[in-house]
Amino acid sequence: MPLHTFTRQELAHYDGRDGAPAYIAYLGQVYDVSRSYHWRNGDHWVRHQAGADLTADLAQAPHGAENLRSFPVVGILSDESNDGPPPIARLDLPGR
Amino acid sequence: MARVAREMVERSGINVDELLHLLVNNAAAELTTFYYYTILRVNLIGLQGEGLKEIAETARIEDRNHFEALVPRIYELGGQLPLDMRAFHDVSACPPAALPADPTDIQAMLQVLVEAERCAVRGYTHLCNLTAGKDHRTYDLSLAILNEEVEHESWFSEFLGEGPSGHFMRRGETSPFVGKFLR
Repeated sequence: MPLHTFTRQELAHYDGRDGAPAYIAYLGQVYDVSRSYHWRNGDHWVRHQAGADLTADLAQAPHGAENLRSFPVVGILSDESNDGPPPIARLDLPGR
Repeated sequence: MARVAREMVERSGINVDELLHLLVNNAAAELTTFYYYTILRVNLIGLQGEGLKEIAETARIEDRNHFEALVPRIYELGGQLPLDMRAFHDVSACPPAALPADPTDIQAMLQVLVEAERCAVRGYTHLCNLTAGKDHRTYDLSLAILNEEVEHESWFSEFLGEGPSGHFMRRGETSPFVGKFLR
């Protein structure tokens, strides 16, 4: 099954806030980090919010991309715009 | 609050409110680690556990000292600890160092311990990177804590068979790097 193609505007809706899943993009791939302790409410170490392309930020991080290996890839990132955001599947995760 | 001290940090280009969030979250990680390590330490029993007990205890006390050293800096910069301790627990920068399902599984205990230290190493490296050349006092404090966390990681990593740490366990007083902030 082909992966969903996210625009940056679509990705911004997956910011992990108010029950939304937390997705981040890195090198064109979109990862679901919703279940990670380090991405609670889409917040990562105060300075990063899910729903964005963090390729440049990862270069400054005290860890590498190997941390992403454990997260599922849910799509690819495109720079093209679309007509609007897709419906958001809200996750009911324990402790959130 | 040390008003001018905060202004100096602001003028250096650091977002002080963001920095305070990070300091509070790391202070929460230290105090919760101190609590969870208490449980881990009491469960390090038997022939295998006894060998780890002293090192786990040293890491536990030093993490408590890290919390003590962070608190004044938080208040100097105009921040505060959460009034509700439960809320403080929940903002911890690192996951709880929870007792494994089988406490007699020494490998599992070591994994919990080493992952807690690795989270701390990344966290203080991040703080050092943010503050280097800008907020000299927070940098000095973060670097001191980082030095001790690196040693903690290396001790547990060595026990996991990941190679020599190059260290001997603490001789003398705890917190050789952070101690100057506790006087």
